[in-house]
Amino acid sequence: MRYFFKTIHLIDYKNIVPKTVIGLFIILILLIPVFTRNVVTLSTLIMTGIWAVAAMGFTLVLRTGQFSLGQSAFMALGGYASAILTAQMGLPFWPSFLVSGLVSGLIALLVGMVVLRVGGIYFSIITLALGEIVRIIALQWEPLTRGSRGIIASAPPPIILGGHELVNFNASLAPYFYFMICLVAVTGLVFWRIGESRLGRTFAGTALNPVLAEHQGIYLMKYRVIAFTVAGVFTGYAGALYTHFLQVITPMVFGLWQSIQIMIMSIVGGIGSLVGGPIVGSILLYNLGEYLSRLDTPGLQSFLFGSVVVIVVMFLPQGAGLVNLWERFWNKVVWREEEYEPDEPED
Amino acid sequence: MPPAEILIEGLTQSCIYMTMAFGMVLVFSILGILNWTHGQLFMLGAFIVFYSTTAAGIPFPIGILLAGLVMAGIGILIKKFIIDRIKGELYIGVATLALIFALEGAASLLFTSDDRGLAIILPGVLNLGVVAISYQKMAVIIFTLIVMTAMYFVLNHTKVGLAIRAVAQQPVAASLYGISTERLSLIVMGIGCALAAMAGAIMAPLYPINPFIGRTPMIMALLAIVIGGLGSLTGAIVGGLILGFLHSVIAYYISYLSEVVLFGLIILILLVRPQGLFGASAK
Repeated sequence: MRYFFKTIHLIDYKNIVPKTVIGLFIILILLIPVFTRNVVTLSTLIMTGIWAVAAMGFTLVLRTGQFSLGQSAFMALGGYASAILTAQMGLPFWPSFLVSGLVSGLIALLVGMVVLRVGGIYFSIITLALGEIVRIIALQWEPLTRGSRGIIASAPPPIILGGHELVNFNASLAPYFYFMICLVAVTGLVFWRIGESRLGRTFAGTALNPVLAEHQGIYLMKYRVIAFTVAGVFTGYAGALYTHFLQVITPMVFGLWQSIQIMIMSIVGGIGSLVGGPIVGSILLYNLGEYLSRLDTPGLQSFLFGSVVVIVVMFLPQGAGLVNLWERFWNKVVWREEEYEPDEPED
Repeated sequence: MPPAEILIEGLTQSCIYMTMAFGMVLVFSILGILNWTHGQLFMLGAFIVFYSTTAAGIPFPIGILLAGLVMAGIGILIKKFIIDRIKGELYIGVATLALIFALEGAASLLFTSDDRGLAIILPGVLNLGVVAISYQKMAVIIFTLIVMTAMYFVLNHTKVGLAIRAVAQQPVAASLYGISTERLSLIVMGIGCALAAMAGAIMAPLYPINPFIGRTPMIMALLAIVIGGLGSLTGAIVGGLILGFLHSVIAYYISYLSEVVLFGLIILILLVRPQGLFGASAK
């Protein structure tokens, strides 16, 4: 698996986009619920954010050279944990939400400690099996998960500050939108810091050359497990938000096909960056899928989705996702520079 | 001891997983990639045999061969026009995974997503006293035996087979000896896809046909490959056998959680022997 990573280069956004542009862009995003109250637009954006977090988790695991085909299992775990704690056990929302990610992370830790010993393609296929196991258990453990009927999860309770209601999740979608923004921002920040830190470079090192990394005294499995666990925690939060946004979770929601979609989002978006790539990928591909699902003919949606992804992969420059295309556009067209060749990270 | 019918059912399933896994391993050993669309080629094979026997009135055995030929052609087209134009194992993987959606979508567009059933071609049951086997299931088993024998012969006693083995071992050295790796990989892709399609075609009278039947066999074939050891043809056959039997026998004892137990067992096998039963080495 390691030779995927020969062409990865980390993007230095600081040189590409001035800070003011980034600031303005963030303010514009934050103001979206002010401009529009359209339910369809907002819910599409919220779902995009949720998938973006899941795709970031996939990218982090891929950074260590492991190709996980079971990321949606962690969304299901987080979603079920939160739904069971609130709806079945009657606990308040915020603690259960916090616990949900930890549950999913704990399971990722346990599974990772067992499974990451094998690594490579075996890891992919075992995570694929893990996804199926989670789905089957959710389907069969009737007393806890209510089987195929699913669990109805309530919306988060209104936040009351100083006597009057500050945020009401039932009134509009805007609170969910800001909730999603917070989740994406926290995840993005954590992953970005990981990517910049020694830990992130170690991840990349274990993928680039496992043998050399091991000879440098890096215990490969430790770092693989760390990446898998961190990804599990945040993917779990994404699943919990998904559950409380749609207010229902059934075993059908998260399966192999969702895992494959997460993977496609991450890779088409660009695996060179831990944050930008997944966000770009999920914005484009989720909206493509959503747009296509309005077509009435059965089958046309998945046919067009698959074909578009194949064509995109065929015409992408080697080793670059869509996020790198933006970089090239910026440098060649806007700055009119010669081809920008970022330095290979020296470590 | 489960009843003999369960074992027969297990054997039938093993045959399908074996044929699929064999094709996938063959493609993997030459091209170095896993073809994730194998399950969908299985599904298209079943559809081809369905339409050729019902609409065109072609006899069933010829329908199977036709399915194999057509899907070999499609496999070669996929190799030539999609896989060859993408660089990097990761991106090829994404493209073939996306092809799953494309092919399933195309099949639902063309054939609608309803279940259909092909009438049993070989009615009747062979009664052996202790066990009764329907002729249709026997046909599956005999067909698999024939295919495996043919593949054994091709790989071990023909020039093409020699070339395939040589390229699988040492691609560079093989091409130095004048073997066209390019042409060989097309041939192997054709053979692999034809095997998947023929597995689908021979199963068509036994199970309902819809555009989504390829998913389970693909997952099972992948697991069979992993149990057997990636890159080992014997491993694919043994893995398929183990998986088919385990699946039926465990489902007989505990119907609900059978797949969980199955996956748990597979994880256990991999922990004891990470490279698979017949794998050469760990990395």
